[in-house]
Amino acid sequence: MLEHLMSAFSPLNIFLALLGVAAGTIIGSIPGLTATMAVAVLVPITFSMQPDSALILMGAIYTGAIYGGAYAAILLNTPGTPSAIATTFDGYPMAKRGDGDLAISIACLASVVGGLIGALALLLLAPPLADAALAFGPVEYFWLAVFGLSLIAALSEGEFLKGVIAACFGLLLAMIGISETSAEVRFTFGSNTLLGGIEVVSALIGLYCIPVLIDLVATPDRHLNPAETQRGFRLVEAVTTVLKNKWNVLRSSLIGTFVGALPGAGGSIAGLVAYSEARRSSKNQANYGKGEPGGVIATESANNATVGGGFIPTLVLGIPGTPPDAVILGALLVQGVRTGPTLFSDGANIVYTFIFGLLLATILMLPVGLLIGRFAYGAIVKAPKSALVPIVAFMTVIGAFSIRNNLSDVIIMIVLGIVGWVASKRGFSVSPIVLGLILGRIAEQGFVQSWTIGDALGDLWGQFFGRPLSLIIIAMTLLTFVYPFMPKLKELFSKSAPPPESERERASGGAVARDVVSFALFGVLAAVAIVQTGSLNEEAAVFPRTIAIGMAVFIAIAFVRLLLTRSVKEVSSPGSTPRRISVPVIMLGAVLLIPVVGFGLAGALMGLALIAAAQYERLKAKPMFILAASVVLVIFLFSFGFKDILGVPLPSGMF
Amino acid sequence: MTKKTIIGAILATAFATTLATAQDFPSKSVDYIIPFGPGGESDVTARFQQPFFKDKFGQDLVVSYKPGGGGAVGWSQLNGMAGDGHTIMGINLPHIIVKPKQGEVGFQTDDITAIYMFHYTPDAIVVHADSDFQSLQDLIDYAKANPKKTTFSGSGKGTANHIAQVIFDDLADIETTYVSFKGTGAAVTALLGKQVVAEWGYTTVGAKQGDKVRMLAVAMEERHPAFPNVPTFRELGFDMVSGAYRGIAVPKSTPEDVRMQLSDMIRDINSDPAFQKQMLDGGFALSEVGYGADMDAFMASKSAEYLAAAKSAGVID
Repeated sequence: MLEHLMSAFSPLNIFLALLGVAAGTIIGSIPGLTATMAVAVLVPITFSMQPDSALILMGAIYTGAIYGGAYAAILLNTPGTPSAIATTFDGYPMAKRGDGDLAISIACLASVVGGLIGALALLLLAPPLADAALAFGPVEYFWLAVFGLSLIAALSEGEFLKGVIAACFGLLLAMIGISETSAEVRFTFGSNTLLGGIEVVSALIGLYCIPVLIDLVATPDRHLNPAETQRGFRLVEAVTTVLKNKWNVLRSSLIGTFVGALPGAGGSIAGLVAYSEARRSSKNQANYGKGEPGGVIATESANNATVGGGFIPTLVLGIPGTPPDAVILGALLVQGVRTGPTLFSDGANIVYTFIFGLLLATILMLPVGLLIGRFAYGAIVKAPKSALVPIVAFMTVIGAFSIRNNLSDVIIMIVLGIVGWVASKRGFSVSPIVLGLILGRIAEQGFVQSWTIGDALGDLWGQFFGRPLSLIIIAMTLLTFVYPFMPKLKELFSKSAPPPESERERASGGAVARDVVSFALFGVLAAVAIVQTGSLNEEAAVFPRTIAIGMAVFIAIAFVRLLLTRSVKEVSSPGSTPRRISVPVIMLGAVLLIPVVGFGLAGALMGLALIAAAQYERLKAKPMFILAASVVLVIFLFSFGFKDILGVPLPSGMF
Repeated sequence: MTKKTIIGAILATAFATTLATAQDFPSKSVDYIIPFGPGGESDVTARFQQPFFKDKFGQDLVVSYKPGGGGAVGWSQLNGMAGDGHTIMGINLPHIIVKPKQGEVGFQTDDITAIYMFHYTPDAIVVHADSDFQSLQDLIDYAKANPKKTTFSGSGKGTANHIAQVIFDDLADIETTYVSFKGTGAAVTALLGKQVVAEWGYTTVGAKQGDKVRMLAVAMEERHPAFPNVPTFRELGFDMVSGAYRGIAVPKSTPEDVRMQLSDMIRDINSDPAFQKQMLDGGFALSEVGYGADMDAFMASKSAEYLAAAKSAGVID
């Protein structure tokens, strides 16, 4: 063991771990640049390296990227990687109230602890955990997805029915494209782009980030208020907060390790499950979703624990736990390292060297992460709005493009952004849509597979409700689902009666009409989906049809409730409407220009137009020129970096 | 100047031009697009080719992914890409034959210019090491006694795994249940977790999982060198040689000479003993179908075979 420790800590490997963590953190912080892509770009470089050094470098990048995803989640309400979805729930509210620096330090500490626990589990418990992961069959994946969906109750911000409708919408979005289980083409409306379905990462960027950009330009207020005094890293505060949450950190890290070890799940689900459990068991439950540090701690410790956890099936079974693991597995095969059952039993020293390297990288993430986090915070807080908006907008465009090298994904991202903005103003929060989108395919695959197996064995009931593991997940789901309603139930049974209906605020006729329109629109979507499933084979139709019918029922209930109570939740949107509208219009215009003038030039033009949209006071010529020149420069640097360093084939247009 | 010399001069110029384009290639790194996510057989074999390409031809082979729709997203865009040989894309059989017949997927089989089919993964029936089935006959006996209850995991519908199940059910006169999973990794996971009775997989599963699994038979003409103890279906009386073939294609606009040259380059890599060893150790089987008449004949015969099977599987009308 000691020799592996020694070889992991060779000067070269320490240097690679440091480099990897720093590069990974930066890559992860850019929405659209995922850990998978970062690792894939590296593969050819690792051919000329020793296998152990190559592994350490890739592992370090991976672990850094998962942490880096927290920056954009906290500062821009946009998960930098899908693993950081649940970080936005409390991270962004923290940043909004001026605690962004604290949130980032907390995220760093939680990530390091989670990463260490995941890596230690890989070192000590890999074979038994791999066996445990194998006990997870199609039914368990189905129930796990349902468990994830039960978070709707918590995330719909008091508008439960609207939350459920939004989740159904997300689930239907996930059904678009060629079905994995039946090979049928569904809901593509003849579009080749939609064959591959809605790309999750670009949809996430659209739903979370575009609404932020739209609202940013509407008022001259700053994006985030800078601290009045120099507060440094606020490390003491962060450590105290994490210590207060010690059970939360431990539980979330364990959840992350185990969910990471499930080959069909991944970091986003680990974060959501950990968040859900942290919220349920917390004394400050009411604060979750409003800037409770416990929410950031839960997600960030869980998603970094998936790094170690994900390597468990990768190394023990030869089955990648997460997409970046799949890339690393491929690179290992080329190196001549055979993963799978024999790797651990052969006493393969490379595995242990790698695990110690991963531990080392995780520890190095503490200083590196704090420093880069400090810089990211400073950059976002200090940047003037008219620089922030164009640069972030360009990052969303290039990020959404580079995932599948597809301009249509960028258009889908912008359109979903508009949908997300309108929906959230009407009280349909965005997070349930995202839950549906992420969990839809997992739920459907698990459901159809379980149905096929149960049908073959002639025991459908036993397949869905007769397996002990499923029962545990079902129980947890029920708990999570019922919990948010507990205060209301208590109210019902206690002496103090709820306020009578008549005292509730009655909304204006206009607000009621606007709600009727939004219900009608979702109703049309549900109807279209139901009609379309008529032409599909049963296997492909059963899941979307069930969802669409359920959606229609919930819309009907919400409609009746609206007529009876006339209570409407609207989010007011002060500020300039023309400026708001200009953001998606400028972005769409730039996307249409890309095939003609190329990526960099279209991006620069978009940047200049967005400066105009976001700039309020009149600037003199010189500062205006500096602003415009620096925005254009950053955009060109990004284009160059993506094209020439990351090898993304950006369209160059006619020039 | 005689007529002859003029014609000769023209011919020589023409030849020189062809030579020039051919010599120019590859003048920069070659983009190798895999229309799937990372970690699958297409990715792994592309990664195997990568270092050999660099060694032999001096340019990088850059692997990137364009997943979606079981490959359809990538293939539907292939002909819109630059046709100078510096963009190539992985192709898979039966996918490119069966998919266009399943619905509007944005491409037809004939749209794809196949250059070289460089390997295939032979179909195999794989069971868990703890399984009671020691031989193929054990499994057939069980399936006959318990119709439908023999569940097979496999990767996708209308795929090599699925078609193999349909063909074998027919040959052995049994009725089994096929459960479709997303990719080979998920299908193997289900097998290792004993969620299904057996798996329709490839010889690569046997190579990767070692003694955790047992292969009952492989659909090859002769036994796979890495598994001398596993019989072929033919030996056991079932005429079945099948699997998933993988190769590369280019955009339609790629000139003929570059197509030929690429075909020769892939053949060159295939004939390198170090490459061959890597592939065979991984459970793959090499195939040598180059550009031209060979490829046309191969595609025609495979199309007929796969389409007939897909029809009886009910995945196409």
